[in-house]
Amino acid sequence: MAILETRKLDKWFGGLHVTDNVDFALDRGEVHCLIGPNGAGKSTFFKLVLGEHTPSGGTILYDGEDITKAKPFERVRRGISVKFQVPGIFQALRVRQNLQIALQHHLEGAGLDEEIDRLLEFLKLKDAEKQLAGSLSHGQKQWLEIGMAIALKPKLLLLDEPTAGMTPDETHATGEMVKALNAEGVSVLAVEHDMAFVRQIAQKVTVLHFGKVFAQGTIDEIVADERVAAIYLGEVDA
Amino acid sequence: MISTLRLLEGPQTLGKGPGFWSAFALVLILACIYPMFADGYDVGNNVYFFNWTFMALGLSLIWGYGGALSFGQTAFFGVAGYAYGVLTINLGDAYGLTFFSLIAAVGISALFAAVLGYFLFFGRISGVFLGIVTLSVTLVLERFMSQTAGPEWAIGSARLNGFNGMGGMPSLTIPWPGGDIVLYPDVTLYYLTLALLVIAYLALRMLVNSRMGNVLVAIRENPQRAEMLGYDIRRYQLGAFVIGSGLAGLSGVLYTAWGNYITPSSMGMSAAALPVVWVAVGGRSDLTTTLFGTLLVLAGFQYLTIYGSQYALVMMGFLLVVTILLAPSGIFITVGSLFSKGLRRRLARERV
Amino acid sequence: MDFLSGLFSFLYQTGDAFAFLVLSACGLAVIFGMMGIINLAHGEFILCGAYVSASAARMGLPLPLAILLGALIAGLVGMLIERAIIRHLYNRPLDSIVVTWGISMIATQGTLIILGSTMPGTGTPFGSFAVGAYSYSIYRLVLMAAAVATLAVLWLIFTRTRFGILARATIQVPHIAEALGVNTPMIYSLTFGLGAALAGLAGGLYAPTMTLVPTMGAAFVVEAFVTVVVGGADIFLGTAPAAAILAVVKAGLTSWQGQLAGQIGLLVAVIIVIRILPRGLTGFILRERA
Repeated sequence: MAILETRKLDKWFGGLHVTDNVDFALDRGEVHCLIGPNGAGKSTFFKLVLGEHTPSGGTILYDGEDITKAKPFERVRRGISVKFQVPGIFQALRVRQNLQIALQHHLEGAGLDEEIDRLLEFLKLKDAEKQLAGSLSHGQKQWLEIGMAIALKPKLLLLDEPTAGMTPDETHATGEMVKALNAEGVSVLAVEHDMAFVRQIAQKVTVLHFGKVFAQGTIDEIVADERVAAIYLGEVDA
Repeated sequence: MISTLRLLEGPQTLGKGPGFWSAFALVLILACIYPMFADGYDVGNNVYFFNWTFMALGLSLIWGYGGALSFGQTAFFGVAGYAYGVLTINLGDAYGLTFFSLIAAVGISALFAAVLGYFLFFGRISGVFLGIVTLSVTLVLERFMSQTAGPEWAIGSARLNGFNGMGGMPSLTIPWPGGDIVLYPDVTLYYLTLALLVIAYLALRMLVNSRMGNVLVAIRENPQRAEMLGYDIRRYQLGAFVIGSGLAGLSGVLYTAWGNYITPSSMGMSAAALPVVWVAVGGRSDLTTTLFGTLLVLAGFQYLTIYGSQYALVMMGFLLVVTILLAPSGIFITVGSLFSKGLRRRLARERV
Repeated sequence: MDFLSGLFSFLYQTGDAFAFLVLSACGLAVIFGMMGIINLAHGEFILCGAYVSASAARMGLPLPLAILLGALIAGLVGMLIERAIIRHLYNRPLDSIVVTWGISMIATQGTLIILGSTMPGTGTPFGSFAVGAYSYSIYRLVLMAAAVATLAVLWLIFTRTRFGILARATIQVPHIAEALGVNTPMIYSLTFGLGAALAGLAGGLYAPTMTLVPTMGAAFVVEAFVTVVVGGADIFLGTAPAAAILAVVKAGLTSWQGQLAGQIGLLVAVIIVIRILPRGLTGFILRERA
């Protein structure tokens, strides 16, 4: 059963066909990575799912419901959550307050404080809770943002290059975090360039090229596919 | 009740603990006994200063906490001022009707703010364009009111009077058996305005430290992330805008009732710049620094106007440029941080 | 005959409004379009150009040279201000609005203090001609030609000169430009200076038609803003067509209801356009990526 589905999803920017009739499905409980060369349209696809761009055509279904016209905050309230490429945190506020803002929607009082503490432990940020979010290391900022994204207890987590700028150790720790979340039942769609990370977490991989779905399969199938290597080297056109 | 009062302190306001509140009580006591030592003129003059503080606090809420630079404060100031004039000239000052007019005038400017705010925030207008639209609205109002000179420009028995302005409206009047009490710029009006100021200040403290306040500063820091946490940021921005603009309206009414006069120039380019100067110089992201910064700059401006009138606006310009370049969080916060570790942390926050 | 003279009158008014909008807006458009800075001191660069050119003309310099001198001085002052103040605020757009507002206050009041509340100007040259029952100023026709000439020169600068191409490159991708050895701070200074010089040019050109007072910039600023915002970031795709459309709106409203209606009409136009076309005409024409 698909938790996220797009049917003939289409997006034009002026004369540029950025997303080309994409049919895509993410199964419940799956960790799915979206890869492809630069300019393939991964970020745009992401933003279409989030609601930041309006599609030129096609539909987006979440948990069976048509969300094509829903605003971003409405989608979030239904259980979609996102972690951006550039850490989207509240830089001038303290780490604890960042999480508080994420959680205050549905928790308060002692329950709120307990949940914040639990998240801080999970994110390995307990010692930094009184620090300003902007003074964290790059990797810690990424984790804080993941923390805010999962605080909402989403059913579907979207990750846009979650390990960008991270050290190999941080990347591996992030992978473990994602796997732990998936074990709790969260479906994950991640845009990624780091193949080691993809290999660590992905159950299924989709390759986008010129806005179209080029190939799909497990990580081993994709790596073995010569055509995929070719598009990265620029030898194949749409 | 207690939990609401606890909101008087929080992450969004400076000052906590017995030290701060004792100082607050002290300042309040001094303010209360001040009229016993000062002459009537000075007391009336202080009321004049207090009148502007509501507009400054409102801009602090919209810009300092919400991150939206609105040049519209003087528009709402003017709308409410003229509304008060029109209402009181038509309704008179008996039976406490002036207070009804005060509330109605503030309500009218808040309604106008709701309409404009809806257009702005639900139209996803932000940043410099928000500034341009609000400035344009302010100037349209100024230009429009400037040409309402003829006798056909009247609402009821209140003539709008073009760029000469509307005058002759009654001051706030408290109905009293044995003779209504008219609140001229004197001791009674001083206490009324002071009371309103204290209420507004404390209420705003609670507002900015509440959940709404949290969301507001989140929107200021990263609107996209705030939206992606499930908040309909347009509503919060609209709410802050209406409250902040309503406060500007309150300033407008109090000013008009204080001086029995309102002109279109209160909505002109120079007037529109002043709240930005007060709030930027004091420290817009905190209510307390905004309040004291505003009072100080106002006093300084008045001093300069009396003793070196031409230089007053030049000094305001300088102050603004220097503040933005050297102390963008506000002079109070920056200077204060030299003495206080808490303020230094706060300053570091803003630099991040 | 009446119809023709009425038509001529409308065309003249529209051309006059077009010239005014183009000349007052192009300096602002260069700075806003290329650097994203809202320069609220724009009116004061116009003031500078006007005062310098009027003084130079009164001292005997031929008018065209006096006007160019006004533009040059305004440009130099602009470069100074960019270096001293604006440079620090490129990543703080709201603060740059506030700072330029402060500079504007200082300049206006400063001029009032130093040079007094008014300055003697030169009269409007060239006299007038008559069509039908009305007489028209010849100088205003010169201004219309000047507006078109300015657009042409700007086009040449930005597409044919080294500076123009470097400026466009620097502003779009500063790091790459820097890596290629371009003196990016200099480019920013020159671009801001160009914007200021264009403002000074407008001041110099219109000085002979106005009373010279320290607040004269205010007459240009609001309409310049409206044109730039309606037009969007590109001078040729945005500012010029916006000026044309707004000129028609303004001329129409003015002849129908008077000057104030014209001004209010423009302000209402900017409010509507920001709501409907957030990137102005440029965005509409290019249908830019959100």
